[in-house]
Amino acid sequence: MAVIALVAGSILPWFVGTAIVLAMTRRAEIEAPGEVAWRVGTGYLVGVFAITLWMRSLSVMHVDFGVVSIGGPLFAIALALWIWKVRSSRAAIVAAARSAIDVLTARSLTGWHRWAWFGLMLWIAVRFALLLAEIVWRPLYPWDAWTQWATKTRVFFELKHLVPFGFADQWFASGGQMYFDASPTYPLTVPLLQVWTNIAYGQFDDSLMNLPWWQIAIALACVAYGALRRSGYGPLAALAGTWIVTSLPLENVHVALAGYADLPMATFYAAATIATVRALDTRSAGDAALALILLIACPTVKTPGIVWALTLLPAVVYTMAGKYGLRIVLAGFVVVLVVLGVLAQSEPVILGYRLHLDFAPDWTALGQSFFLLDNWHLLWYGVITVLVLGRRQLLAPGIAPLTLVVVAGALFLLLVFGFTNARGWVADQTTINRAVLHLAPLAALWALMVFGAWSRASGAATAGTAPTAAQAA
Amino acid sequence: MQESTVQLSSPVAAAKPLGFGFAAAVLALAVTLLFVGYLMLAAPGKWFPDAKEITWSAADLALSRGSGKLGKNEWALSAPDATGTALLSVTTNFAARDFPVIAWNVDDLPETASAQLLWRTDYEPEKLQGVVLTMNAGHLLPVTMSGNSGWIGHVTGIALLIHGVSLSSVHIHGAAAKPSGIVEIARDRLREWTTFEGWTGASINTVVGGAESQDLPLPLLLAASVAITACGVWLYSRRRSERYPVTLAATIAGLVIVAWAVLDARWVSNLARQVEVTRERYAGKSWREKHLAAEDGALFKFIESARAVLPPTPVRVFVAADADYFRDRAAYHLYPQNVMYDPYYDRLPLPAQLHRGDWLLVYRRRSVQYDPSQQRLRWDGNEPVTATLKLVQEGGALFEIQ
Repeated sequence: MAVIALVAGSILPWFVGTAIVLAMTRRAEIEAPGEVAWRVGTGYLVGVFAITLWMRSLSVMHVDFGVVSIGGPLFAIALALWIWKVRSSRAAIVAAARSAIDVLTARSLTGWHRWAWFGLMLWIAVRFALLLAEIVWRPLYPWDAWTQWATKTRVFFELKHLVPFGFADQWFASGGQMYFDASPTYPLTVPLLQVWTNIAYGQFDDSLMNLPWWQIAIALACVAYGALRRSGYGPLAALAGTWIVTSLPLENVHVALAGYADLPMATFYAAATIATVRALDTRSAGDAALALILLIACPTVKTPGIVWALTLLPAVVYTMAGKYGLRIVLAGFVVVLVVLGVLAQSEPVILGYRLHLDFAPDWTALGQSFFLLDNWHLLWYGVITVLVLGRRQLLAPGIAPLTLVVVAGALFLLLVFGFTNARGWVADQTTINRAVLHLAPLAALWALMVFGAWSRASGAATAGTAPTAAQAA
Repeated sequence: MQESTVQLSSPVAAAKPLGFGFAAAVLALAVTLLFVGYLMLAAPGKWFPDAKEITWSAADLALSRGSGKLGKNEWALSAPDATGTALLSVTTNFAARDFPVIAWNVDDLPETASAQLLWRTDYEPEKLQGVVLTMNAGHLLPVTMSGNSGWIGHVTGIALLIHGVSLSSVHIHGAAAKPSGIVEIARDRLREWTTFEGWTGASINTVVGGAESQDLPLPLLLAASVAITACGVWLYSRRRSERYPVTLAATIAGLVIVAWAVLDARWVSNLARQVEVTRERYAGKSWREKHLAAEDGALFKFIESARAVLPPTPVRVFVAADADYFRDRAAYHLYPQNVMYDPYYDRLPLPAQLHRGDWLLVYRRRSVQYDPSQQRLRWDGNEPVTATLKLVQEGGALFEIQ
């Protein structure tokens, strides 16, 4: 019974999120290639955000956390949305579902393409089965998970409502009204998601409460497939791209050893970026709303989410500022670099704060992390290759906004790990890889999209006589 | 007429165009050639030596400086001697020129430690010679001795000298003298790539991809092979596009997928081995049983007892332990009690910061004394406070402040 309740509780974010996303979708959009995967993937993320927002609201209203108080209203609203949408767009939804089943069963593929499709599906399935086994069997393992995140989970679950966490001095001053852990100001989305899983299960279990990490990885796979299909990839090539995006070893580690917020951060950031770029392209209110929800969710997952959300500004400025957009953004990047350079060469003091920055990145450790260790398989070799081969496509329409976001993200990492004392975390291979994980899935998607654009362009240049990589399938 | 048509069809024109299999074959060739090239460069002596590797187990080694315990397969050091060194040695008899590489199998060397290989030869029997060893991630890298002027004649003894303040974590499994021909080096590299990389505290930050230290990382070899293959096939297709009509983009995509699949197969197989380890330890157990089987099972058991003693309504509980791992874990297991601890440093609050009704949980912590006759509790040399001992178990105690 508990397991059934756990499964039902795990399905709720999908049910709620897809209902919200579907409600924002126009009928004509539903049947486009990859749309089902995109809506399902982003739907889960929206569902996670919706549930944790609702839990915050319950706490404000002094309503205890419970299956009914959390799940009841959300289920009812989602059900109403589903009924309304199915009634208003029945034909489109049925057609999209049929099309999704056709894609999953590779009906449109023949010969080796069909074998490759099932081979990749099996490979992905084996990976996810192994990751699921690790989550189900292993009690909470990685350090920060039980010093910074699940600390809050346990307290909120047992007390059935939110309580404030504070630093040691605040804790002493509160006279027992406040709680303490290693990072009391960290955002609450991740602990609340664990709380919900425990509530659905009916007891605290720090193995099973990590099931959302597995589901987030599935959501990322769906987002990747949907994004690649929309960018022009055929079904098989998009599946190969999805296999690449979901196979980054450090990403897998963060599923198997669940409990950190880095994988949720990476997934929300990737989805928010793709959704924003898509909204800038379609100018559809539904896409814009989805992008906005995912963007707002970013800082609630992890504090750097604020900065990651800000890295989308260049894409917005580029698109909205018309023909001057690119110049404005490039000028912005130049200004940032100049400011960093000036701060590295001087020691200005403003309002008592010493603003000097030391530019001393540990290139050896960075090289080791990116190219010699197996954190990322061949991702960063691929990124370099794409920068060389696809240099003419980097700022092509459709690709440029994504390129500018990736550049802004890379600049953020350069600032943190090149100019601040965080470089120590590069040398000992600790936080550097976790911070890069925030950008890695998006960078992989971007590289695949640039490669696809280059493939099509070079295919067109050779008169289209040979199949291009992206369209071969 | 028919005859002339046949004559016009040259063998080249009639040949079937090559598919992606051609590029894949070139990739396999590139990997092989690069690997063989590496082996030729890496072999310090003969490529195909006659000598066989000599190995010494931990039992063969004698600890002559410092203290430690010989276990089943390893020496576990406990402390250096008064000069801050530990020395393990073994009597040998091999020709220096036949064994150009010496490898010490050592784990968990602290970053602050340093190590040297010492040896004597029959050529200069009175002279004790040494060379500094390179450390990587707590291990010692094999040292190549060919080219060292002291590596001559017959080596009559080798020793490992470790210098460090704290060596209590160091484990020495043995040593090996290696002829280091290309076959042996190839075997070493393959072993490094396929070594099981189980979960450790560092796994959440880094995936090495096999053994902790690797002389030739597999991603680098594969990336270089893909680059060379792509260039080679591209040049070929520019001259013979009718023979190899696959586009450059499709070729690169295919090559990357093949190389990626090799790396990912290694990773997924490592993951499968890890899942087996996890299954053996935790499968079929309840949440509580899993924690009892975990690394901190003894602590979890103690905290269970403490939770039974603590009031059901959360109270302030101060947590003390020497090791941050135990301090932080104890706090985690105690929630939703209102715990206070220093996550990073072994610090307890001043007595004045504790009130009546607070609790103090101590686990493996020095400098805490309790006088049961007077119910006086003191720590770190501070003024004592009145407290009642509520629970005592091996390594831990729970007090209620009065």
